[in-house]
Amino acid sequence: MNGTISLNEGRLNKTPSPHLYSRRSSGWIMQQVIIALLFPTIAATYFFGWRVLLMVAVGMISSIGFEFLYQKWRGLDITIHDYSAAVTGMLIGLSLPVTAPMWSIVLGSAFAILLVKQLPGGIGRNAFNPAVAARVMLKIFFSPWITNWVTPEPDVVATATPLEYIGNFSRSVPAEVPGLWDLFLGVGLGGNVGETSKLAILIGFVYLVVRGIIDYKVPIIFVLTTATLASLYGDFSFTYYMTHVLSGTLLFGAVYMVTDYSSGALTPDGKIVFAIGCGVLTMLLRIVFDFPGGIGIAILIMNGLAPLIDKYLAPRIYGHKKRPTRENVKIS
Amino acid sequence: MKKLFHLMRKRQGAYTEDRKERTEHRPVEEAPVPEYLIFPLSMHIGAPTKPIVSIGDHVKVGTLLAEKDGMISANIYSSVSGEVVDITNHPTLNGDSPCIIVKNDYKDESAEPLFDPSIELDPTKKLQLIEQAGIVGMGGATFPTSVKLSPPPNKTIDTLIINGAECESYSTADHRLMVEYAEELVEGVRILMEVLSVNKAYIALETNVHESVAIMQAAIQDHDTIEIKELETIYPQGSEKNLIQKLTGREVPPGGLPADVHTVVTNVATTYAVYEAVKLGRPLTKRITTVSGEPIKEPKNFWVRIGTPINTLIEACDGFRSSPGKMIHGGPMMGKPLTSGRVPITKGSSVITFLAKEEASRSERTPCIKCAECLHVCPVSLQPILISNAYEDGDLDQAEQLGALDCIDCGNCSYICPAKIPLLDNIRAAKQAIKAQKED
Repeated sequence: MNGTISLNEGRLNKTPSPHLYSRRSSGWIMQQVIIALLFPTIAATYFFGWRVLLMVAVGMISSIGFEFLYQKWRGLDITIHDYSAAVTGMLIGLSLPVTAPMWSIVLGSAFAILLVKQLPGGIGRNAFNPAVAARVMLKIFFSPWITNWVTPEPDVVATATPLEYIGNFSRSVPAEVPGLWDLFLGVGLGGNVGETSKLAILIGFVYLVVRGIIDYKVPIIFVLTTATLASLYGDFSFTYYMTHVLSGTLLFGAVYMVTDYSSGALTPDGKIVFAIGCGVLTMLLRIVFDFPGGIGIAILIMNGLAPLIDKYLAPRIYGHKKRPTRENVKIS
Repeated sequence: MKKLFHLMRKRQGAYTEDRKERTEHRPVEEAPVPEYLIFPLSMHIGAPTKPIVSIGDHVKVGTLLAEKDGMISANIYSSVSGEVVDITNHPTLNGDSPCIIVKNDYKDESAEPLFDPSIELDPTKKLQLIEQAGIVGMGGATFPTSVKLSPPPNKTIDTLIINGAECESYSTADHRLMVEYAEELVEGVRILMEVLSVNKAYIALETNVHESVAIMQAAIQDHDTIEIKELETIYPQGSEKNLIQKLTGREVPPGGLPADVHTVVTNVATTYAVYEAVKLGRPLTKRITTVSGEPIKEPKNFWVRIGTPINTLIEACDGFRSSPGKMIHGGPMMGKPLTSGRVPITKGSSVITFLAKEEASRSERTPCIKCAECLHVCPVSLQPILISNAYEDGDLDQAEQLGALDCIDCGNCSYICPAKIPLLDNIRAAKQAIKAQKED
């Protein structure tokens, strides 16, 4: 019986079921998000030039750096290998116009990682989306440096964003706004670099859905909510609501921000309410308040409400009549 | 495209790999019969049996070895002819427990059948035979079938579901049974319908096993009261609660039984055993068991005499091609890990799965990222991560309110978790603690 492999009973693993595990890890999931973010990054580089890559790189390196340094300082487990800090940094780099100074990206990363993510306890424990919070913070306090909109090269000229024309109670689309196709492709558009090409964002969306990373319903419900409100407000003008849908951070936010795990809702019904809430607030902020970066504030408000939404919309358990009630259990 | 379609709906299950390809086309073959067969006194849910043989007794195939003791219990018969050589503790599925050991004389003499098969029987007598034959749920639950078939008078039964949705990876025992014994199975279904006096039966199958679907379709052609229901291949499609909901729209109430929603669910292997008992007068002495998994050299589907040690089957599969890291009684999602090849095949052994060391090892736990996958894959709509957290915080009341006791142990949450949190371990522990608290 030489050479046969025996059942080495003493060395058999005895852990209880299940005995197989999915190969997906948190790090793998975040890698997929990074891949999905490469599409808008490539598009932005095409439109705005190589500085975009530098912005993204600065965002990633500073976010990873701050996370590493913080965890080293506090003696915590280093978690930079889960790629979540890299995602945050990438989002921050893509959330600013090509004219944004590099220090604003570093500042945004520090804010996102140290205050928003690590202070509440790190990955999974942050109530607010770090990249979105950093973006809103920069918009509010550093507006002069980071809202310097320009059209892409070669004719770099100062421009207003489409939103500045259709916000503030405007119910129609002025002639200065680029056409829908240009908005969709990102041709000749000012704005934050990542949100320029809606086509690239849609490719990222399809990638994330096919990979099973995000729930396709959340971005779609979010966009449908905003489109419905816009069409009601704009007397059902197709151009008006499509301009809303294709302008600003709406699609970028729908795919990469509203879908964030940690700051979003956990329950299936809660996710739907969360998406609708983000949509309603975004349109309110756009139409009524004409607030720059309204979507960011909308998402942050809904981030704050997410635990409450989950509490009341816990799924009904098989065989039970009512949804289970719960106290505020800690989520992670 | 199909994958995209899958992603676009509420899942309530996991797309585990089915890994059946190595055995699904292998005809069932007779397993070698060993020299010593081991019959645990308890191979079912309920009270252990009482031995009625003594050391030195001569037994035949079909001789009653141990008798049911109490309502929920089931007779045990010898699967070989030979001599009772010992009644002693031996490794079993449930650790070391009392077993009757029979030494095979290789003569294969048969005992008298349970009744004269030429006599026509009434439904009451048929039910008695099912009880007498020692038939239990052979899908793994091992609940005595006769008890299931005689619900209290206030619970009327209108639907019979035959469970052929073999949703665990590797397992092909039920599939082969349907492919090779379709006629007998339909006969078994008719017996069960008669005993329950229902006029509607569904045979539930998963769509990944096209061969068995086609064969069963052909076999029921002349029976318009039996209907095939093809279900999506998703784990745990074959769980009793899930099948009832998918096929009848009814949900078993918390802590209740299928009979509470007028339904009885029986596994296909059990249905075949019913056919053998009622048509041929044979007690339950053998079953089909798949032996498979990466490390196995020649995975096979066997007709196994109950009492055959797993070691005999490993040998019949030509041993291992790589070093096994885990031996599981059952499939990789719900099966029980074993540490002795001397454990015998019993009535509920549908598959013995071997996993390679790498496959079976758990990765290091990382923080929850709130991906909500555990909620998506839970077939009973629990929030596994919240129950797990409540348990880890020592808040049993909260764990109970969140439905810990409704968990069906399917393992999907632990399987899917990208942070590798031992969700099911925690929920199980919570269940035990809650039950213990209630008993106090």
